[in-house]
Amino acid sequence: MAMFAWVMMGLALWHFTIFIPDRFWGGIVGAFLGAIIGAALFGLIVNGFAVPGQGDTHLLQAIEAAPGAIIGIALVYAEGVRRKIPALEL
Amino acid sequence: MTDRRRNTIVLTLVAALLLASLAVIVPGLPSSKPTKQGLDLKGGVQLIYEAKPTRFSQVTGDAIDRTMDIMRERVDQLGVAEPEIQRTGENQIDVSLPDVKNADQAQQQVGTTAQLFFYDWEKSVVGKDGKPHPTDGSVTGGQSAGQPGAGTMSYYEAVTTASKFKPTNEPDDTTNGLWFGVDDKTKDVRCGPQETQTDAQEACQNANVKATRFVEVPRGYVVVQAESDESNPRSVAIAKDSYYILKDDPALQGDRDIKNPEQSYDNGPGGSGQPNVTFDFTDHGRPIWQKVTRAIAQRGTDQLVPGADPAAVANHFAIVLDNKLISVPYIDPRQNPDGIDGSNGSEISGGFTIKSAQRLANLIKTGALPIKLDLISQSQVSATLGQQALHQGLIAGIVGFAVVALFLLAFYRILGVIAVGALVVYAIYFYALIKLIPITLTLPGIAGLILTIGVAADANIVIFERVKEEIRGGRSVAAGIAQGYKKGIAAIVDANVVTFMVAFILFILATAGVKGFAFTLGIGTLTSLFTAVLATQAVLGSMGRSRWISHPSALGAGESKRRWTQDFMGASKWFFSMSGVILLIGALAIGGKGLNFGIDFESGTRVKAAFAQTPSETRVGDALRAAGFKNPEVQKVSGDKELKGQGVQISLGESDPAKTAKVRGVLASKFGQPTAYQASSIGPTFGKTVAKSAIIAIIASLIVISAYIALRFEWKFAVPVLIAVMHDVLITAGVYSLTGREVTTSTVAALLTILGYSLYDTIIVFDRIRENVPRMPRAAFTQIVNRSMSEVLTRSLATSFCTLLPILALLLFGGDTLKDFAFALLVGVISGAYSSVFIASPVLSHWKEREEVYRRRRTRIAAENGGVVPAYATAGHGADVEPRRARAAGRRLTAPDDPERGVSKSEFDEMVRDIEHETTGGAVAAKTRRSRVQKPEPEPEAEPEPEVEQDPTADARPEDLVLKDTPKRDKPKRPRNKRHGRPR
Repeated sequence: MAMFAWVMMGLALWHFTIFIPDRFWGGIVGAFLGAIIGAALFGLIVNGFAVPGQGDTHLLQAIEAAPGAIIGIALVYAEGVRRKIPALEL
Repeated sequence: MTDRRRNTIVLTLVAALLLASLAVIVPGLPSSKPTKQGLDLKGGVQLIYEAKPTRFSQVTGDAIDRTMDIMRERVDQLGVAEPEIQRTGENQIDVSLPDVKNADQAQQQVGTTAQLFFYDWEKSVVGKDGKPHPTDGSVTGGQSAGQPGAGTMSYYEAVTTASKFKPTNEPDDTTNGLWFGVDDKTKDVRCGPQETQTDAQEACQNANVKATRFVEVPRGYVVVQAESDESNPRSVAIAKDSYYILKDDPALQGDRDIKNPEQSYDNGPGGSGQPNVTFDFTDHGRPIWQKVTRAIAQRGTDQLVPGADPAAVANHFAIVLDNKLISVPYIDPRQNPDGIDGSNGSEISGGFTIKSAQRLANLIKTGALPIKLDLISQSQVSATLGQQALHQGLIAGIVGFAVVALFLLAFYRILGVIAVGALVVYAIYFYALIKLIPITLTLPGIAGLILTIGVAADANIVIFERVKEEIRGGRSVAAGIAQGYKKGIAAIVDANVVTFMVAFILFILATAGVKGFAFTLGIGTLTSLFTAVLATQAVLGSMGRSRWISHPSALGAGESKRRWTQDFMGASKWFFSMSGVILLIGALAIGGKGLNFGIDFESGTRVKAAFAQTPSETRVGDALRAAGFKNPEVQKVSGDKELKGQGVQISLGESDPAKTAKVRGVLASKFGQPTAYQASSIGPTFGKTVAKSAIIAIIASLIVISAYIALRFEWKFAVPVLIAVMHDVLITAGVYSLTGREVTTSTVAALLTILGYSLYDTIIVFDRIRENVPRMPRAAFTQIVNRSMSEVLTRSLATSFCTLLPILALLLFGGDTLKDFAFALLVGVISGAYSSVFIASPVLSHWKEREEVYRRRRTRIAAENGGVVPAYATAGHGADVEPRRARAAGRRLTAPDDPERGVSKSEFDEMVRDIEHETTGGAVAAKTRRSRVQKPEPEPEAEPEPEVEQDPTADARPEDLVLKDTPKRDKPKRPRNKRHGRPR
């Protein structure tokens, strides 16, 4: 259940990347992957590589995926900048 | 083949199939077939067993088949009409018994392993030291051999004592050792026997009990329950905790050594007249029987003292069925000093009722199951509730059909009449198919059927909108119809193929109830393709000359409707934000509240019952507690559609289906027979299976959908589709979490349907983008998407609305199961329509705009417009270019589609202009003509097209513009080189 909340948080935060000039490595899809993987990975790390079940999932677990998602998005963006991908603003 | 001939053939086929369908449907005709109703509509008992290996057999396909054959024979003996026994998944057997009311009796008769063994009692029964003591009455029970009392131990003591013995390895051992879960504090056996420790742990989990440790009664020993008089409840209660330990050396086996078992009466000399079971020995069993009884008699003779009662020293043999002593008769050493000749057969007597004797005889007759069966799910629906559910389903279906028909008539007028006709034909075909195949009609199946009404209507909407667009674009009605079908068919096929594939995956992986939904959805999708596309096309094609459709307004295409001119891509930021916020709330709700999983996933028991006089919650709770059920939660329900008013709903943490089958009996004994009854009991094993198959189905569906989209469009189109689908499913989950609605197997089926269905709109939009890409070779991708969306938004809204109508009917008029489906579908379809337009398309735009060709175009357009890229392409930088299609334009000018009526005014005007252009000549004029003929309506922000020659592909490489479905360009006609060989 926690994994569900993490992925959902990642997906939710990814939606707001549309306000950032697109310099993401892999574009908006790269940002999507960064957010989802970041959220899931961070959730796993915080919980000692275990996925809490339905009974052990609480509000904090959904929130703790947020830094992971942001880090994931930032990493993909940084890689885009490093690769000198020009900004795309629609 | 000419169009006329083709239409005639299709219409003849439609009429022939219609007659054939009516012949199947209309009652009273010799060819009519009955409708096969599922248990949820007809009432009955459903039992789902999980197969486990035994010492003699592994769980193989063959073993399961043999087991099912034996179960069928047993069910036949129950006298059940139309039972269904089928294998589900890898190791499960689903038994449906219509009209059966006693679930307890049914499961005893059908799923009992029925392994019958005969033991030489005194030689087999062992003491606490693990050794037999044939002359020690405190071990064998003496004259009361097999009865509770002397020699018996508690279940816990027998199991823990036997677990200390050393295993043997003899060929006649009946087990490889059996595992039990014991509680050392309460000195109780909590679960078992099971073949492995894992199975024992699972059994404890299933029964919702905890064991402090798991112990194994080793191979070579068995723990058997003492004999009891089944007609005496006190005797049964005492025997419940009275056990013997036997050395596992059976003399005879039921399957191998016994034949012709019959229920009879003990009417011989000195007989008691009680029911018993008589049987014969097989050729193999007869000599063994004689030998064993001789040995038993011999031991008795050895102890016989003159003048003593032979019964006091007589030895016994024991008949054990599934680890329970059925009878332990003695062999009189004086009457049978040489044993008993088996040629006249023998009998088993001792405390039988007629029913239990019949049951034993039947079990021996059908033979032991080759594998062990654990009951993991049991559900029961009374016939009254079933009929009520069917009634609600039919009302929901009729209302759904009626509102869809009204919508089509209001929106499409004459076309709507034809579409409604097609829907009627579709409904008749589908009903005939249900009877012919036959499809077992279940509640989920009805939900699938009603949903396909919306799907069938969607196909018509997509085509009709296209037809209207073509007619408004200046084509004649006949030409518009022809073009509408031609251009609309690809999108419909794509959308329906995806729905069909998801239904197929659901059918393969889902549990029995959901299979019905998947099957009807799949068959319905295919049938609707035939009726909604082929049949309507033939009707419209044949009506081409009719005055009914001579005027565009008759088709709803008269007046030029307002076009969507919004900057969808520009606004997508705000829609993205809205989705982000909804998902954020959903994520927090899932973290904080979680999902309310029903008993399908969490295991447990739910009972709904109505009585002539509804008892209070306390009385029901007390009755259940007295019957041994822990913590029953009882709730009075009123206004329940299924219970037709008041009743009680009971939730039990208890999930052992074998135990919960007794609930009805307990309620009936205290409060009278329920007027309506519905019970469902799911063990954790079944819940896990359901959850696992749901996850596999979701992943498989996503893979298949991606592969299909990648093949039909291009791989970059598949990714936004996946993101949109993920968006829909997660939003639906978020809504479920927020509202606290129960997640059942129906919800999962509905979610999977959303996977398929939410693509319908996305495919419609993407299909138009694919079509517009080669038409707009100088436009930015956002402009192409804006243009495409403005063209298809109306139909997208119409299809979603049309699908929502039957779903709303389900939600308003259906019973609980149908409402489960309807709610998930409602949220999913709304989210799906929204995500197609506001999530999938913007993601695609963002991704495609990064491609070099579109980046160059964007830069150029921005430079031409003062740094701004207009929302819609203007003539200067995004003018339409009709991709060349083989002879399409030529045929229109030389061969009008309707020779009798000639051409429409606009076509005539075009022809005049063409002639003018041809007389003036020039490449520019030719290009302008093509553009105007095919696309007369101006772009929303279009300026007058400049009469200058432009290279439409100036900033694109040829490969940039080629999509898979881009029509091939005509090769320039060159004079054929008639010279062959080398020039001279």
